[in-house]
Amino acid sequence: MERSSLDRKFDRIRDLEESGQLGGARGNRALRKLLNNPLALVGLILFSIILLASIFAPWLTDHDPGKINLRAMLQSPSAEHWFGTDKTGRDVFARVLYGGRVSILVGLGSALLSAAVGVLIGCYSGYKGGWIDIVCLRISEIFMAFPQIILVLLLVSIVGQSLLNLIVIFVLSGWGAMFRLSRARMLSLREEEYVQALRSFGVSTARICYKHILPNALGPIMVNVTLTTAMFILAEAGLSFLGLGVPLSIPTWGNILNVAQDLRVLQNNWWMWLPVGAVISLFVLSVNFIGDGLRDSADPTQQG
Amino acid sequence: MAIDMNANNIALRVSNLKTYFYNDRRCNKAVNGVSFDIQKGKTLCFVGESGCGKSVTASTIMQLLPTLSRIEEGEITYFSDSGAVRIDQLERNGDEMRAIRGSEIAMIFQDPMTALNPAYTIGFQIGEMLQYHTTMDKKQIRCKTIELLKDMGIPLPEQRIDEYPHQYSGGMRQRAMIAMAMACNPKILIADEPTTALDVTIQAQIFELMEKLKRDHGTAIFLITHDMGVVAELADDVAVMYMGNIVESGTVNDVLRKPRHPYTRALLNSIPVLGRGRGQKLQAIRGSTPDAYDRPVGCQFEPRCDYASTQCKSMPEEVSINTSHSVRCWHYEEISSDG
Amino acid sequence: MLVPMLLVISFLVYLGLEFTPGDAVSHMIPPELASQVSAEKLELIRESLGLNKSFIHRYWAWLSHAVQGDFGHSLAGGVAISEIVLDRLPATLELSAAALLISTIFGCLLGTYSALNRGTLRDSGLTVVGMLGVSIPEFFFGLVAILLFALKLGWLPVGGRLMPGFDSWFDHLPNIVLPALVLSLMMTAGVMRYSRSSMLDALNRDFIRTARSKGLPEWRINFLHGFRVALTPVVVLIGFRLPTLIGGSVIIEEVFQWPGVGAEFIEAVRGQDYPLVMMIALFSVFAMLLASLIVDVLTAWIDPRVRMGAK
Repeated sequence: MERSSLDRKFDRIRDLEESGQLGGARGNRALRKLLNNPLALVGLILFSIILLASIFAPWLTDHDPGKINLRAMLQSPSAEHWFGTDKTGRDVFARVLYGGRVSILVGLGSALLSAAVGVLIGCYSGYKGGWIDIVCLRISEIFMAFPQIILVLLLVSIVGQSLLNLIVIFVLSGWGAMFRLSRARMLSLREEEYVQALRSFGVSTARICYKHILPNALGPIMVNVTLTTAMFILAEAGLSFLGLGVPLSIPTWGNILNVAQDLRVLQNNWWMWLPVGAVISLFVLSVNFIGDGLRDSADPTQQG
Repeated sequence: MAIDMNANNIALRVSNLKTYFYNDRRCNKAVNGVSFDIQKGKTLCFVGESGCGKSVTASTIMQLLPTLSRIEEGEITYFSDSGAVRIDQLERNGDEMRAIRGSEIAMIFQDPMTALNPAYTIGFQIGEMLQYHTTMDKKQIRCKTIELLKDMGIPLPEQRIDEYPHQYSGGMRQRAMIAMAMACNPKILIADEPTTALDVTIQAQIFELMEKLKRDHGTAIFLITHDMGVVAELADDVAVMYMGNIVESGTVNDVLRKPRHPYTRALLNSIPVLGRGRGQKLQAIRGSTPDAYDRPVGCQFEPRCDYASTQCKSMPEEVSINTSHSVRCWHYEEISSDG
Repeated sequence: MLVPMLLVISFLVYLGLEFTPGDAVSHMIPPELASQVSAEKLELIRESLGLNKSFIHRYWAWLSHAVQGDFGHSLAGGVAISEIVLDRLPATLELSAAALLISTIFGCLLGTYSALNRGTLRDSGLTVVGMLGVSIPEFFFGLVAILLFALKLGWLPVGGRLMPGFDSWFDHLPNIVLPALVLSLMMTAGVMRYSRSSMLDALNRDFIRTARSKGLPEWRINFLHGFRVALTPVVVLIGFRLPTLIGGSVIIEEVFQWPGVGAEFIEAVRGQDYPLVMMIALFSVFAMLLASLIVDVLTAWIDPRVRMGAK
C-alpha cells in the first residue's frame, strides 16, 4: 500500500518517540491550549486593538467627534478624514473611535454586571434550595419568557431612553441565563464530598458557596460572559440603529449606523455606515473567537 | 504461540502484529508483536488487565481501528472458504473488508445498551445485516430475524422484533446482539468482554448460549476477558497478554494448571477461589501497570516481577515448552520448579 | 404552566405601564388642543373611560375583556388591537417560516458536511464563516445585502412584501428572498455549528462501531445511524433558538419594510402607543411558550425513548 501523508506523519512521530525525544513537563494545560489555538489568538489581538484604539482615542485622532463643520459635509475618505465626514461635517473616524468607548462599555459592562447578578443569586439560590430557590427560579422564568429584544424595547418604552437605563435594562434581560447556569452548577457541586466536609466543619453558607464552590464553576461562566458580551454589543447596535437605544446625542457604533436607514445614504455615502458595521463585526468576531478558545481549553475531552 | 502445522484447522492466523496509536503527537505501541491462531470450532480466550492491548487486537482483526492509528507491521490471514485473505492488506472500509465484516467475522461488544442504536428497532438492526450480506427479500429477512431471536432464547420474538433496545433487559440485549452477530453464520465470532456489564447469573446464560453456538454451527470464538473464571469455564486455548505482548499461551490446561510466566502466576494467585475458605492468601501484584507512553525497556513486566534480573532489560523471545504451550520469559524454568 | 405564566406576566406588564407618562386621554387629545379643554371636561372623559378607577379595577376590566378576545384599542388610530395583530401576523409567520426552513436545511447540511470532513481546510473554513455569521449584526448584513442585490445589481426589490400590481403568490417570491436569508443568518450559523458537534458526538458513539462491524457501507453508517441520532439535540436547539427568530424578525422587518408584527411593535414603541406595545409583548410571550410546546412534541416524536416514556 502506498504511503499517504498521514502515514508519513505517523512515521515521524514513531521515530521521534523511539529516540526518546517526546514527553516532558506539561505546564498549565488550559493556558497552553488557549494560546495554541490560532483563532483564539487572533481574537485576543483583534479585541485588544479595537479596545485600546477606543480607549486611546484622543491620541489617535485630533478631530472632535461632536464638532459640526458644515463646510466639510459628506466628504468621502481622505488623508484628512480617514473615514470621511457625515451629514453635519463630523469626522466619522473620530466618531467610531469615541463611539467604541460607549458601545464597549455598554456591551462588556452589561455582560459583566448581569453575570455578577446572575451568579450571585444563582449560587445562593442553588445552594440554599427551598422557597428562596423557587421564587428566584420563577422570577427568572418570567424574564426569560420574553424574546430579548421585545423585553428590552418594552422596558425602554416604559422607563425611557438613556445610557444608564439601557445598561440596567440589559442586565435585567440577561441575568436570567447566568442565574440558571450557576444554579445548575451549584446543584451538582453541592452534593460533592468536600462540600459535606466543609459543612460539617461549620463553615458558613456564604463562605462555602462563594469561596469554595464558585471557583469550580468559573470555566463555563467565563465562556458565557464572552458570549453575552457579543450579544449585548449586537443588541445595542441594533437598538441604536433604530434610534431606540442610546440617545442620539451620545455617539455609539449603533448610533452612527442610524443614518443608514436612509436609502440615499446607503447607496451614495458608503463610508458613513460600512466601516462602522465592519468594526462591530470584527469586534464581536474577536470576542467569539476568544469565547470559543476558552471553551475548548476548559474542555477536558478535547485533544490538547 | 506454537504454530499448528495443520492449516486446515485454522480459521485465522495472526503473525507478529504491531498496532500503534498516534494521539496527542505521541506514539503508543499498543500491540507490539503478537502472534496466535484461532482454531476452527474452538474458543480462544485472551486474558489480561485493562489497557494491555487485547481489545486493540480484536479491533485490528476487524480493521475497526480509530483514524489516528495503524497496523505497523505483521500479517493477519483469514482462511475463508475461497482461500486465504490478507486482512492487513485490505483497504479499511473497502468492499472486500466490508464483505468479510459481519458475514465471515462478526463481533459483539461489552455494553449492549450503547452498542445498539437507540433510534431503531432490534428487528431493523438485525435486518440490516441480512440486507447487506444476503439476497433475501423483506419478508424472508423478517422470518429469519424472528428465528434468530428465538434461537438466542428471546421470548415472544414476533413481538420483540419491533421493539427498541431500551425496552429489552440487559441480558436480552446481549442475546439480541449475539443474534445480530450470528445472523450470517460467521466463521469467527469475536466477543469483547461480552458479560462484564451483566449480572453473574445472566453471565452464565450467555456463556451457555455461546457454547451452543460452537456446537451447532462450529463457530470459532475469540473471547476477550479480564476474568480468569470465565477462562476456566469456556476456553479451549488461552493467551495471557500484558502491555502489548502475549506472555504465555497454550491450552487451558497448560496455562491454568502449569503456568510458567510470573505474570500468569501472579494473576492466578490474586483470585479468591470459591470453597477454599477464608484463610486464603491473596497476593496482589505489586506495583502498577506502567503508563503507555512511559514504558519500561525490555520485558514489560520486569518492574513488578519477583524473578527479574538484568537479563530482563531485553525483551525475551518466545519459547515453546511443548507443542501447545509457549511462554515469553527468561526465567520460565525457575517458575516451573517453584510449583 | 402556560396560563398562570401568562397571567402573571400580563399583570406585571400592566403594572409596568402604570409608570409610563400620561394615559389614554392625554394621548387622545393632541397637545395643541389640550390647553383648550377644561380640567373638568378631561375628568369627565376619564371617568367615562373608567380611567379613574383603581389599578386593580382597571386590570380586572382589561383581563375580562382580553379573555373574550377584546384586547383594547391602539392609541394611534383607535383600531382594535386584535385586528392589528391578526392583520400583521401572516406576514411575520411567512418570514419566520421561511427563515426557519432555510436555517434548518442549510444549517444541518453544512454542519454535517463539516463534521464528515473534520480537520480539513473545508471544515476550518466553514467554522470561520459560521463565526462570522453570528458576529455580523443582522441588520447590517441586511443593509449590505440591500446595497448589493437591490440597489447595485437590481436583482431583488428593496423592500416591502407585495409587489404593487401583481397578484399571484409566486410574483411576491423575490420580496421574501432577502429578508428571509438575512433573518436566517444567525440561526443558520448556530445550527451549522451545533449540528457539526452533535454529528461528531454521534459518530463517536459505540453503535457506530457496531454498525461498521456489520460491514455496512460508510454512507449508511454516517446518515442512517450517525445523522439520525445527531438530529435530536439539533431539534432541541432549534426550539431553544426560536426566540431569537421571533426577536430577530423585529429588526429585519423594519429594515426591509416588511409589514409584520415586529415592525408594528417598533412603530408602537416609537409612538408611545402603550396598549399596543403591551399587547404585542404579551403576544410574543405566548408565541414563545407555544413554540416550546411544539418543540417538546417534536422531540418526543423523534426520540423513541421519550415517546414511550422510558427512563
